[in-house]
Amino acid sequence: MAEVTLQDVVKKYGTFKVVHEVNLNIAAGEFVVLVGPSGCGKSTTLRMIAGLENISAGTIRIGDKVVNDVPPKDRDIAMVFQNYALYQHMTVFDNLAFGLRNRKVPETEITSAVTRATQMLGLEPLLARKPFQLSGGQQQRVALGRCIVRRPQVFLFDEPLSNLDAKLRAQMRIEIKALRERVPTTSVYVTHDQVEAMTLGDRVVVMKDGWIQQIGTPLQIYNRPANRFVASFIGAPAMNFMKVELVEELGVMSAQAEDFKVELPLEQAAVLRKHGAKMVILGIRPEHIRFGIPSDNSGSSFSGVVTVTEQLGSEQVIALNVADSTMMASRISPETEVSPHASVQMWVDAKTLQFFDDKTEMAIR
Amino acid sequence: MIALALHALRRAIFAISIAAIFVVFVGPIAILGVTSIRPASGVFYIWRGTNFTFNNFVEVLHQSQVVEAMWNSFVLSTSATILSLGITVGSGYMLSRFGGWIQRSWFATIYIFRTVPYISWVLPLYLVNTRLGIYDTYVGLLLPHIAVHVCFFSWLMKGFFDGINPSMEYAALIDGCTRWGAFYRVALPAAMPGIAALAILCWLSTWNEFLFALILSGKRTPLITSTMAQFVTETGTEWNLMSATAVLAMMPALLVTIFGQKYVIRGLRM
Repeated sequence: MAEVTLQDVVKKYGTFKVVHEVNLNIAAGEFVVLVGPSGCGKSTTLRMIAGLENISAGTIRIGDKVVNDVPPKDRDIAMVFQNYALYQHMTVFDNLAFGLRNRKVPETEITSAVTRATQMLGLEPLLARKPFQLSGGQQQRVALGRCIVRRPQVFLFDEPLSNLDAKLRAQMRIEIKALRERVPTTSVYVTHDQVEAMTLGDRVVVMKDGWIQQIGTPLQIYNRPANRFVASFIGAPAMNFMKVELVEELGVMSAQAEDFKVELPLEQAAVLRKHGAKMVILGIRPEHIRFGIPSDNSGSSFSGVVTVTEQLGSEQVIALNVADSTMMASRISPETEVSPHASVQMWVDAKTLQFFDDKTEMAIR
Repeated sequence: MIALALHALRRAIFAISIAAIFVVFVGPIAILGVTSIRPASGVFYIWRGTNFTFNNFVEVLHQSQVVEAMWNSFVLSTSATILSLGITVGSGYMLSRFGGWIQRSWFATIYIFRTVPYISWVLPLYLVNTRLGIYDTYVGLLLPHIAVHVCFFSWLMKGFFDGINPSMEYAALIDGCTRWGAFYRVALPAAMPGIAALAILCWLSTWNEFLFALILSGKRTPLITSTMAQFVTETGTEWNLMSATAVLAMMPALLVTIFGQKYVIRGLRM
């Protein structure tokens, strides 16, 4: 296990910068997930750590060693690729043994290492098969096996589950998590799926357009997003946004839009007053919008018109038209009868609201 | 009723088309085969008479030039295949995986050569070969063949490598291979069906090639295609002997096709 440090790492293709001054310290044994939409530079960052891409500026360290000019084979890393990248002409055993054979490990040690890995991943019956004879899930397991068999300093995962169907993806996510407990190793995991990011990462790094937007634990990222992008990217259904005016009446601040008014608690009002802007962006997580009217003074109610309902069995998700914007409300009881076009009363606890600057889109804190 | 008639008509047209295609392709080979076992007197009336003989084969196989030509064609086809593929594999891999001015220049060069009909450089090549003293030698015949193959097959080879996901090579780089090792141990075996298909196509095209054989080979290194043409003499054409030689010349190509077609199909599916 080794620490991985990225210091002012830049990647340019010609004059086009795709990764901007990335600074990231990954502790030994930590599992860090890089997440973001396509083209945000997460895979390029991972490939720079692997040595598959040259870096245009900055420093990458694995352990104490600067690896800027070290070829991939000497970085003591292992990588799982999106399309598994198994050697098609080799059996599963040979795929697993390939890295060890290249390092001239004695054949008896190779056999025991491969056996250990295959037992861990349940691959024993497949050892003599070629990759094309395996299902997607089995191939991904072999790719994981190829990583753990070498016991490298760092695991790199490049969207390893995106080629699998939803059910298998959920299963493999659990397996990767279980594997982490058994083979604790520093890991960098790239995904565009925020569920994988939230469930797997000790820390999550959210990227956009080659810039790191926020680094934090999954809960920090979810509960205290640094900006509107992070708030909208993490969470499903995504956070609802609405442009509101802050109005002070008799010392009480409220966020208002047409047919919408929420009174704000004192601490929140103080923060917003300090910020000074009149027009701000209000963010409400769908699960914080409740059906009906609040039982005490803790919430503010508003009305909306239902446009669509989605029955998920365990909950209902409804889309509402509130003050000219569409809001999603989740965790509505599946038993609640809601019909499209109906006008409904909803409420929200003001303490759960997030505010973002209208121009910079940064969180107001 | 009309629908039924139309259906029957469509079927009839389909059957006639298939029969016509069959006749166009199989007809000449059948005529060739029958001519090769007819005596000289029977070649103009091959569908009449019952006089058949294998003497034509005995006679051509006793002509040292025919045997020598077959051997020369075999040596030339095999060595041209090995050497061409050696270059083509590297060239195709470079075109598929690398960028930069070297790759672009190479791409432009083979593109230009590909667009020029090679009949236009056969005569100048005759002069070059005579000047260099390699006219009517293996080297003099090999070099143009290799040049043609490299220009034509680099594109196909590029396509084969394009079809192999480079992440397999990245995995090999991380697994301890050098760039060369990743190519040799991972990309090359993965491209093997394609390479096998190209080897077969390359061998067959050299074996069947006529223009270079006619202009660039002479009495020292006769080739089978040009030797066949020598049965056209001043006193007439010895159709029976020419056909027997042609049937003999077809054999290796036929064997290569029969045993190699699964590789060709697998390779071209890549």
